[in-house]
Amino acid sequence: MENILTFRDVTHIYHTVRGELVAAQELSFSVSRGEFVAIIGPSGCGKTTLLSLAAGLLKPSAGSVESSGSFGYMLQKDELFPWRTIEKNIFLPLEVKRKNTQEARRRALALAEKYGLADFLKSYPKQLSGGMRQRAALIRTLATDPDILLLDEPFSALDYQTRLNVCEDVAAIIRSEQKTALLITHDISEAISLADRVLVLSARPARVAHSHTLDFGDVPPLKRREQPAFSAWFERLWGELNA
Amino acid sequence: MKHVNYSQEHARFLRRRKQNLALVWALRIGVLALLLGLWELVTATGWVDPFIMSSPSRIATTLAGLAADGSLFYHIGVTLWETLAGFAIAVVLGFAVALALWWSDTLRRVLEPYIVVLNALPKIALGPLIIIWFGTGSEAIVFMTVLVGVIIAIMHVLSAFIATEESKILLMRSMGANKWQILCKLVIPSSYPAVISMLKVNVGMAWIGSIMGEYIVSRAGLGYLIVYGGQVFKLDLVMSATFVLCLLAAGMYALVVLLEKILVKNTDN
Repeated sequence: MENILTFRDVTHIYHTVRGELVAAQELSFSVSRGEFVAIIGPSGCGKTTLLSLAAGLLKPSAGSVESSGSFGYMLQKDELFPWRTIEKNIFLPLEVKRKNTQEARRRALALAEKYGLADFLKSYPKQLSGGMRQRAALIRTLATDPDILLLDEPFSALDYQTRLNVCEDVAAIIRSEQKTALLITHDISEAISLADRVLVLSARPARVAHSHTLDFGDVPPLKRREQPAFSAWFERLWGELNA
Repeated sequence: MKHVNYSQEHARFLRRRKQNLALVWALRIGVLALLLGLWELVTATGWVDPFIMSSPSRIATTLAGLAADGSLFYHIGVTLWETLAGFAIAVVLGFAVALALWWSDTLRRVLEPYIVVLNALPKIALGPLIIIWFGTGSEAIVFMTVLVGVIIAIMHVLSAFIATEESKILLMRSMGANKWQILCKLVIPSSYPAVISMLKVNVGMAWIGSIMGEYIVSRAGLGYLIVYGGQVFKLDLVMSATFVLCLLAAGMYALVVLLEKILVKNTDN
């Protein structure tokens, strides 16, 4: 499989008046096309920095980030603009990227309808439930047909039940659209239930401490949670995180 | 949202709400009527000298007289024009400066102390300078009005611009948005509520500015009538002009509220 995203010896340093902070040091990993990679790490280890580096929003202090493809970024909260309807929110990345053609709009609307947002297109975000809003945020991310999805703890703001449901939805949508995804999370079970591969980061400065290929195949998240291998993976990753 | 089938309890709830609203309005008008009535009573019976206190009936007579010879509308026109011009310039200028300060962090840091000082300065202290620079016409009063409103406008709008959620900016940047797009699609729309509140504050500021300006230097306008009336001890004239001023300020405020209804529909999250 070809690599679609490669971090090569990436070091990133934050500068503030009070001093400097090494967020990542000689960090290397790659993601291949169609793969779902989850990254877990102790809190404050610079996980979000990693996504910003991947998306090219930050330049590494040393090393290189290579990618062959376009990005879609999904954040913790849905960040839907309250003054826009769901439909207009979904069109936002098209407007920004100046790809707001009839063709692109039709494609985005088809996605929205396929994944259950048809009745909400003319609604405003505040009229939707948290789960629906996060789903709308995913469709917005997919609107420009990105090659790689960068997911920054996209379920962490949801309550537990909604979170499991949305996680299930998102997994199904990403699999059926055959997207590559890089998920950042502090939730071990979320990582196990979604990913093909899990990278465990060390405490700051972040390095890849462990990399595990999971053997669940196409089993959806909730089914994974029922399998005996699930708790085995959980214990192992828990141990590595707290090492 | 519309509901078709109400429960009886809900219908009672709505009816109580409606009755309560009617009561509030009745009391509002009642308070006004009571005050005017008392005022008329104490002056008519001679408890209080109407020469000092004026009275509702004398105000009505004065207004009718001013309206009859057309001077009422002339003075209203002068003040209204000064106020609206000053208001418009202050708002547009304030918005533009806030934009520039949002755009350039360095510029903002350079100008911050100047804005703080200008905000704290009582603008009336500049009265003599304004007379010398702009003469005694309407220009001087418009300038005073702008001066009173513009700093507040800048500070209001700028703080809203700066308060734009970081995470939404990150979202825009992740889509590849440039600064101009972030401004037009995110920062400005998310600041509508603050812009409206700035307009509300500036309605008040504009009237302060124009009347203050007319106190310092003027040959016409409601502020001029008030000052003139005070000087020649015609309290009826002072009260009448003040009354008209109340009506105009309320009307302008109502217009801004109407604009708010049109502009800010779904901005609350």
